[in-house]
Amino acid sequence: MNTPRQTPARFARGWHCLGLARQFTDGRPHEIEAFGTKLAVFRGRDDGRLHVLDAYCRHMGGNLAHGTVKGDTLACPFHDWRWGGDGKCAAIPYAQRVPLRARTRAWTTLEENGQLFVWHDPEGNPPGPGVTIPRMDWIDDEPSDGPEASEWSDWTWDSVLVEGAHCRELVDNIVDMAHFFYVHHSVPTRFTNVFEGHVAAMYVESTPRRDSGMELIGADLSLRSDAAYYGPSYMIDRIWQPLGDGTEAETVLVNCHYPVTADSFVLMYGVRVRRLPGTTARQAEDMAARTARGMRVAFDQDIEIWRHKTRVDSPLLSDGDGPVYQLRRWYEQFYVDAAEVRPEMTDRFEFEVDTRRAGEAWEREMAANLARTGTPGTP
Amino acid sequence: MRPVTCEECGTGVLVEKRSLPHTSVQWTGPTDRCPQLAGGGARIEGCTRLRASIEREVREGRLTVAHDD
Repeated sequence: MNTPRQTPARFARGWHCLGLARQFTDGRPHEIEAFGTKLAVFRGRDDGRLHVLDAYCRHMGGNLAHGTVKGDTLACPFHDWRWGGDGKCAAIPYAQRVPLRARTRAWTTLEENGQLFVWHDPEGNPPGPGVTIPRMDWIDDEPSDGPEASEWSDWTWDSVLVEGAHCRELVDNIVDMAHFFYVHHSVPTRFTNVFEGHVAAMYVESTPRRDSGMELIGADLSLRSDAAYYGPSYMIDRIWQPLGDGTEAETVLVNCHYPVTADSFVLMYGVRVRRLPGTTARQAEDMAARTARGMRVAFDQDIEIWRHKTRVDSPLLSDGDGPVYQLRRWYEQFYVDAAEVRPEMTDRFEFEVDTRRAGEAWEREMAANLARTGTPGTP
Repeated sequence: MRPVTCEECGTGVLVEKRSLPHTSVQWTGPTDRCPQLAGGGARIEGCTRLRASIEREVREGRLTVAHDD
């Protein structure tokens, strides 16, 4: 943003995905810059579990992410202090004994859907009841015929650092029907939001803009999408696209992020597609890769907007807009102390956007563009 | 927003309709009395009985639509 202002320095309470779990299982520590600090992710050699510690050693500030995994501990490159996944200093080889209360911060972790999550809470409390990442139980990852028999492609996974924007810009998108037309070249024909508890959902049906020559995988197809944020930063989006021959392409998209600073975040997205009848596992992997490239085009369209916009806390809305204020009210629950979460932040709220008036205006605009250019192209 | 009571479970909600296709529903308590929503949360788009109750309110003139063209 050109003039970031009033950007809150506080980071959201909630589960944050750090990436695919397998990215962190190579026996080496990994550095993640997040929540205004640095984290070190490592897998214990003996316990096989993924652990997340504050990267900076409590001793003299060495960066543990540049250290070495030794057994189930992470050894600092500066003086070889050994830190366990529980945050306790397990050994200091050159000292007679470990100081009392030698502890660093061990972050609460979760592995789900092949991804690694950390729990962030400025108050230091554990996750509340029911606050978790749902398992994608419609995907059978352990079919009895072996993993190669899976009906679904493996995860694609990509990440991009977005600088100069608060991650609220990304979350705002789920109530922003009109931007799908202007920024992503699709025409929503149905658009409903539901917020309840820590979940915010978006139910959409859309068709492609017929005046757009945009080459985007799947962009030439109508789609139905059920998407929901589980907490402040992790969205699961299920997408169905009729292929015209009676079959339907089925995709699952994970769209998630973690904050780096108050005005930067790492956006990550992963795609899996269901193998179409009569196609090979390899073809499904190719389809997922193409879909991921299309997602990158869509996210780049958003990033181009964020890079040049400013933060608006009190937007001026029209009757064609979605429930931005109610979404912000829902989102605020993650930025206040747990005791300050008010019922109106979590009470169920439903909003069905009137897509009729917008659809008529967009139809006229598309017809005019086609009449002028003759063929689909740049609107 | 105007209060509407669901004819199925008796839960009261607040409803606004800016136009016939638009509907905004604000719950002011838990959804656990609703047989369709209980346990499903935001992953369930809405309760069909509540929707029918809202449509009846509109039909019978108790819930006005801001722009009913």
